[in-house]
Amino acid sequence: MRRSLPALLLAPAGAITFVAFLLPMGWLARLSLGRAAGGVLIDEVGLTNYVRFFSDRFYLGVLWRSVWVASSVAALAVLAAYPIALFLFRSRSRWRPLLAVLTIAPLLVSSVVRTFGWMIILGDHGWINGLLQAAGVIAAPVHLMNNVWGVLIGLTEILMPTTTLALLSGFARLDVAQEEAARSLGAPPWRCFLRITLPLTMPGIVVGALVTFVLAISSFVTPSLLGGGRVPLLASTIYEEALETLDWPFAAAVAVVLVMVFGLALVGYERLARRWQ
Amino acid sequence: MVPVFRLLLAAGLALLPLAARAADPSGEIVVMGYAGAFQDNYMKAVVEPFMAKYPAVKVLYSAGGNSAQMLGQLRAQKASPQVDVSIIDFSISRIGNAEGIYAPLDRAGVPNLADVLDEARMGAAPGGGEWGPAFDFDNLVLIYGDTVQPAPTGIKDLMNPANKGKIVFSAVPNVIGTSVQILTAKYLGMDYKAPIDPVIEALKKIGANVQTWQATPDNYTMIINGAAGIGVGWNARAQYYIDKSAGKLKSVVMQEGGVLDMDTVNLVAGARNATAAKAFIDYALSPEPQVRLAQLMYYGPTNRKAVLPPELLARTSSAPATLAKMIPVDWAYVASVLDQWTARWRREVIPAQ
Repeated sequence: MRRSLPALLLAPAGAITFVAFLLPMGWLARLSLGRAAGGVLIDEVGLTNYVRFFSDRFYLGVLWRSVWVASSVAALAVLAAYPIALFLFRSRSRWRPLLAVLTIAPLLVSSVVRTFGWMIILGDHGWINGLLQAAGVIAAPVHLMNNVWGVLIGLTEILMPTTTLALLSGFARLDVAQEEAARSLGAPPWRCFLRITLPLTMPGIVVGALVTFVLAISSFVTPSLLGGGRVPLLASTIYEEALETLDWPFAAAVAVVLVMVFGLALVGYERLARRWQ
Repeated sequence: MVPVFRLLLAAGLALLPLAARAADPSGEIVVMGYAGAFQDNYMKAVVEPFMAKYPAVKVLYSAGGNSAQMLGQLRAQKASPQVDVSIIDFSISRIGNAEGIYAPLDRAGVPNLADVLDEARMGAAPGGGEWGPAFDFDNLVLIYGDTVQPAPTGIKDLMNPANKGKIVFSAVPNVIGTSVQILTAKYLGMDYKAPIDPVIEALKKIGANVQTWQATPDNYTMIINGAAGIGVGWNARAQYYIDKSAGKLKSVVMQEGGVLDMDTVNLVAGARNATAAKAFIDYALSPEPQVRLAQLMYYGPTNRKAVLPPELLARTSSAPATLAKMIPVDWAYVASVLDQWTARWRREVIPAQ
């Protein structure tokens, strides 16, 4: 009985994972071996879609662009969220709970609504271009949207609250006493940061970067609206193939490729996490 | 046991008259179609009058996304269809017909099929009968804001570098993008079936002028609120928005001509209530609801007996002057090359800056 207890306790979660994740993933993998012509499904078994993906420079470009956009967003979001997370972690202020709520408050607003907000700010006639033009800094609008810049700016801000939470979750080992010890022994603030704070918060940085990367590479609404349809990524390719050309098998194959990217990111995380443990 | 047996017998006897009248439409049907303004107007023009005519039938309108998304839902439900009647663009219903998602119709079950114009027919099914036909006509138009000077007239305005960042429309495989490609070939004096390299070169100039390929919420609204200047869209919606925006939006058939679009009404294969579904399709193809749909949404009727008053006719795609400008398109050919066209657009036209 004692031996079977863990298995029993795991059974509900295991059953849900099997039915809601593994089984559909299996179907997806099976679907990816089929074929479609002119949107009409043809039941076949073969690797046509994978050959098409990996032998076409356009799709390899989509894969590469997705990885670098998601990596850049992860780096930018960690850079921007790190000081906020560190401040929140250390703060003894009575306002701390309020500040924490303010940091994650954007999560209460749908990312679609926040993307629309960015469209108002970044557009050719948006606030930023309006301000710069009024100040005489630029003569013609700078294109901040409908290209990859819009995607980077929008995704970074939209994912920052999540990055902050992930960073905070990994800051448990940061001990103020150790920083104080370093300072009392004469370390200047920058050395104290590089030698004590940064290494101790590294687990948080790794988790924060991983979570942001995974969310960024699977984002669809923000990149397609702020990219103006001009920034083809894995997620937007899946959407187009599934819902515009109706080539479900190819969409499934791209989805499997995306899952493989997740897998590689997880392997990288495992290695880094072990190193900073 | 005996009372139970009696009860079953009584229930069986009570159901007998219903069984005898199985040919009379009754029960519930699910009609899946476009959301938004189309749904509002279709309810008023077709669904509500149908339910008034057949009080025994209850119609549930299920609002889907675009045509491809709706076909996706039907594909996912193929083993156990939850939808009886599907309203969908003709370019996508072709896929549904080929995949056996839709069932053919015959004139015995749908008598109004006899009065449907030939242009609105989707062809004969291999096993007999014909595929769900169109219930409305629409045509491609150039749409623009009332402040755009000079007013655009055709493909050359879409290619004009002066319009950079002002243009919005949907790319191939959407029928709008496909039609723009066909009209660009015409502008270049070419056949759209000829090798497409010169057309793609011209389309790249248009692509560089496009502000966004993801018009949000749609082309018409972006032009009305001044976010974009020129777009390509459909006449019926353009007319609807011209009224709504008090003339801020304008529309014109391009110099090169236009392309007819249609929405079809289809019986889903394995529909749970095929009798009522056929009655609904027959009603949707009859003259009265088509005239009402023209009054509310400016769609051209496909029933030859549907007659529109002249001032309304002039604003639909069925106006003789508009029909004269339409160019014939071999959609079966387009379907056979659409994958190649889509690949060229994604690689060359959409990223053009």
